Amino acid sequence: MARDALNRKMDRLLLLEEQGRLSGNPTNRTLRKIAANPLAIIGLVLFLILLLACMAAPLISTYGPNAIDLRNRLSPPSRAHLLGTDQIGRDIFSRILYGGRISIFVGLGSALGAALIGVSLGTYAGYRRGALDALVMKVSEIMMSFPQIILVSILVTIVGQSLWNLLLIFILTGWPSMYRMARSQMLSIREMEYIQALQAFGIGSFTISFKHMLVNAVGPIFVNITLSTAMFILQEAALSFLGLGVPLEQATWGNILNVAQDLNILRGAWWVWLPVGLVITLFVMAINFIGDGLRDAADPTQVG
Amino acid sequence: MQHEPILTVDDLCVNFYTNQRCNKALRNVSFSLSKGRTLCLVGESGCGKSVTANAIMQLLPSLSRIEQGTITYHAQEGAVHIERLSRNAREMRRLRGEDIAMIFQDPMTALNPVFSVGFQIDEMILNHTNLSKKKARERSVELLKQMGVPLPEQRAGEYPHQYSGGMRQRAMIAMAMACDPKILIADEPTTALDVTIQAQIFALMHALKEQKETSILLITHDMGVVCEMADDVAVMYMGNIVERGSVVQVMGCPAHPYTRALLASIPVLGKGKEQSLEPIRGTTPDPFDRPKGCQFAPRCDFATQECHKAMPDEQIIDQDGHMVRCFNYKELMNERQA
Amino acid sequence: MISFIIRKFLLLIPLLLVISFLIFLGMELMPGDAVDFMIPPDALATISQAELDLLRSELGLDAPFLVRYGTWLVNLVQGDFGYSLQSGVAVSTLLANTLPATLELSLAALVLSTLFGSILGVVSALYKGRLSDNVLTVMGMIGVAIPQFLFGLIMIVVFVFKLGWFPVGGRLTVGNEAFLQRLDHLILPSVVLALSMTAGVMRYCRSSMLDSLNKEFIKTARSKGLPPWRVNLVHGLRVAMTPVAVLIGFRLPMLIGGSVVIEQVFQWPGVGQMFVSAVRSQNTPIVMMVAFFSVLIVLIASILVDIATALLDPRVKLS
Repeated sequence: MARDALNRKMDRLLLLEEQGRLSGNPTNRTLRKIAANPLAIIGLVLFLILLLACMAAPLISTYGPNAIDLRNRLSPPSRAHLLGTDQIGRDIFSRILYGGRISIFVGLGSALGAALIGVSLGTYAGYRRGALDALVMKVSEIMMSFPQIILVSILVTIVGQSLWNLLLIFILTGWPSMYRMARSQMLSIREMEYIQALQAFGIGSFTISFKHMLVNAVGPIFVNITLSTAMFILQEAALSFLGLGVPLEQATWGNILNVAQDLNILRGAWWVWLPVGLVITLFVMAINFIGDGLRDAADPTQVG
Repeated sequence: MQHEPILTVDDLCVNFYTNQRCNKALRNVSFSLSKGRTLCLVGESGCGKSVTANAIMQLLPSLSRIEQGTITYHAQEGAVHIERLSRNAREMRRLRGEDIAMIFQDPMTALNPVFSVGFQIDEMILNHTNLSKKKARERSVELLKQMGVPLPEQRAGEYPHQYSGGMRQRAMIAMAMACDPKILIADEPTTALDVTIQAQIFALMHALKEQKETSILLITHDMGVVCEMADDVAVMYMGNIVERGSVVQVMGCPAHPYTRALLASIPVLGKGKEQSLEPIRGTTPDPFDRPKGCQFAPRCDFATQECHKAMPDEQIIDQDGHMVRCFNYKELMNERQA
Repeated sequence: MISFIIRKFLLLIPLLLVISFLIFLGMELMPGDAVDFMIPPDALATISQAELDLLRSELGLDAPFLVRYGTWLVNLVQGDFGYSLQSGVAVSTLLANTLPATLELSLAALVLSTLFGSILGVVSALYKGRLSDNVLTVMGMIGVAIPQFLFGLIMIVVFVFKLGWFPVGGRLTVGNEAFLQRLDHLILPSVVLALSMTAGVMRYCRSSMLDSLNKEFIKTARSKGLPPWRVNLVHGLRVAMTPVAVLIGFRLPMLIGGSVVIEQVFQWPGVGQMFVSAVRSQNTPIVMMVAFFSVLIVLIASILVDIATALLDPRVKLS
C-alpha cells in the first residue's frame, strides 16, 4: 500500500519533469527547503510570541507579579483573573508573564555564557592540542561526571541563592559540554588542507583557530546554544520546584510550580501549576524545533 | 547470437525520483548475457552501469522504479520475468544468491563489520539450503579455501577489518558463489584494489567461469579490464547502450564515436611520453540538463544535424550481432579503414 | 578483555582521588560545620568565641587543611563516611538505607528507557515518513520538552487521584513488602523518570538506524536474498546499537540527577530525597557523600558502557 502511494508521487514527478516545471531557480529551492521544515517555522513563531509576551508583561497584564490579594485566594480562572490566583491571591497570568522574563533570561544567558567560555576554550585548545588541551579535557571530564543537579545544588548552597548566582553557576557547570562540542568540531576541521596551508604561510594559531576554523563550526555551535537554552530552562524549573533555584520571592516559571508540592493544590487548583507547566513545555519545544531546523539546514545529506 | 542466453534485458527504462526531481537514468537498455560467457558493461562513472546491475537484482533504492522493459532470466524451468517480481517477495529473494549473485566494489564497506566473515558466508548458505550450521560452516571454510584465502578455518572466525583488501574481495566472491549461482554480477570488483591484486581476482573469476560455467556480468570503467576479461562488450553512455557486440567486434572494430574516443584516450604502456593522448572533449552533461537528441552529440567529432534532433535507434551492423546507436557509423568505420 | 576491564578500573583511581579532593574542598566551603550544629541556638548567645574555638580544636577541626583531608580520606577508604550533622547517624548507615531504593528506581527507569527507546526508535526508522513515525516523533519532542517533575505531577493527578490505579507515593505500603506487591508503587515513578531518557534514546536510535540502513553492507545482505526482517534487525540494528549504547552511557548522569527530583515528587525514600533535605538543612557530610557516590556510580556505569561497546563492535581495539 505504501508502494502505491509512492508510485503515485513518482508519476506526478515524472509528469512535472516532462513538462519542464522542475528545473527551477535557486530561490525556488530554498523556499522548498524551508517549506519542507514546517516545525522550525512553528517553533520560531511560538518562541517569538512567548518571548514578546513576556517582554511586554507590563502592557499585557493589569496586575503586578507580587500583588497579594488575600480575599481572592485560589480562585479559578475568571474574567478578572485570566488564569486564576494562587494561594496568596497573586494573579497567575501576570506571574507567568513576569516569571517568563527571568526564566528566559536565565536560560538564554547561561547558554550564551557557557558558549562563550566553552567555545573559546574548545577552539583554541582543540587547535593547539598539547598540555592545555589535555588539562581542560580532564577538567571537563570530571565536571561532566557529576550529575548537574547535584553539582548545582552544592554550589548554590555554597554561594547562596540569588538570580545572578544561579546564572553564574549554570555557566560554570555548562561550559564543559560546549567545550567538548567545539573541540570535536575543531579536531575534524583542523585536518583539512586549507588549515595546513595557513600554517605554512606562518599565520598565528590564534588567528587560524578563531578567524578561519571557528567560522566553519558556527552551525553546530548555534544548534548547541539553542538546545542548551532549553536545557537550562528545564534545569531552573526543576531547581526552583525544589526550592533551590531562584529565591521564591521572585516569580519564575519554576518558582510558580514550587507550590505544586502541596497535594491539596495539586488536586484542587490545577490552574496554579498546569498552565505554567504547559508554557514551559511549549517554550522548550519551540526552542527544540528551531534547533532541529538549524541542524537540518546545516546538514546537506538530506535526500527525498 | 549463436550463444545461449541466460539473461536478457530488453528496452529497460529506470527513473530516479530523488530530491523531488525525476532523473531518467536508464533509457531503452537492451543486452543479452550468454551462458558461460563474460559480458563487460563499460562506461564512465554515472553512466548507469550500476543502476543496471541493481535493476537486475531488484535492489534499486526505494525512490526509483523500472518504468518499462523486461528483464528475463532463462532458468532451467522456464523464463522468469524479474521486472514483474516484487522486490522483497519470496521468489525474488530465492533468485538472489541462488541463481544470481552480486559482488560489490568496496569489500570493506560491503561486508558487515560486526560479524565474522564465516558468519556472513554461513548466512548465505543457511538462507538457501537446508544444511545444518555445522555443515554450513564446513562449506564456508571450503569456499574460502577454493577462493585462495590461506588458513581458512582460522580466517572464517575473523572479522572483515582483519583481512587485507584482496582477501576481502576473495571472501566476497566466496560468499557470492556459495550456492553456485548461474550468474555472477561483479560491480567494479577491483577498482578499490591494487593492480597486482586485480590480476589475481580476475584470474579467480576466469577460473570460476571455466569450471562452473558461470556467466559473468562485469561492470567496469577500465578498458584494459574489458580487453582482459570480456567475451562480449556493451558500451554505455548517459543511460544508453551505444554499442554492443563481441569483444573482437567492438574493440577490434569500434563503430561508435564514443567507443573509439575511449580507446584512443588510454595511454599505452611502453609507448613513451610522446604518445598522443586524446581526451574526449567536453564533459558529461548534467543528467537534469541533457542535450536534445543523441546524448554524445555535443562531444562528437562526427556529429551532424540529425544527431541533435533524436537519439539514434539500435542498428545491427552485421549478422554477428554487432549493434551501434549512431547515424554516422558508416563514416566512422570508413575512416578507420582509410 | 579482562585486562581491558582491569585497566579501566585502575584508571579510575587517580580520577577518584582528584574528585575526593574536590569533594573535601566543597565540604570546607559549605557554610557551617559540626560545631555550629552541636550548639542549640539559644546557647549560641551565651557561648564565647574561646569556648567555640576549644570545641573545634577538640574535634580536630582546626588542623591544617591537608591534614584534615588526609584523615578524611583514610576514613573514607575504611568505610567511615562521617556523621549526619543533624541526627549524628553515620552517613554510611543512611546511605545503606536509602541506596537500594534509588538503585531500584534508577535501574527500572534505565531498563524501561533502553528497551522502549530502542524498540520505538527502530519502528520509527523502519516506518520513516509514515504516520507511526510522525506520531512517535511528536511524542518524542514532547517527551524531551516537558519538565520531568511536571510529567510526574500530571501522572499523579490522572492515575492516582482521578483513576486511583496507583498509590499516592512512597515505596511500599506496610505489610506488602514483597517485590510483586510493591510493583504498583514502582511503576509510576520509574515510568516518569524514564520519560526523557526514552525520548532521547528513541530519537537517537532512529537516526542511528537510518544511518546504518544506508550502508553498503545492507545492500549486500539484501543481495543474498535474506528476508527483510533479518536485513533490518540482524544487520541494521546490530550496527546501529553501538552509538546508542554510547549515548545511554553519556546520559546516565541525567538519569541519576533526575531521580533527585522524581524522588521528591513521589516521596520515594531514596538517596535523592535525602540529598534534597540535607541541602536544605546544610547537612554537609550527607550532601558531599551523596555527591561523591553519584559520581562513582556514573564512572562505574561508563566503564560498563565501554565494555558493552567493545562487545558490540569488534572494531573497538581492546588494547
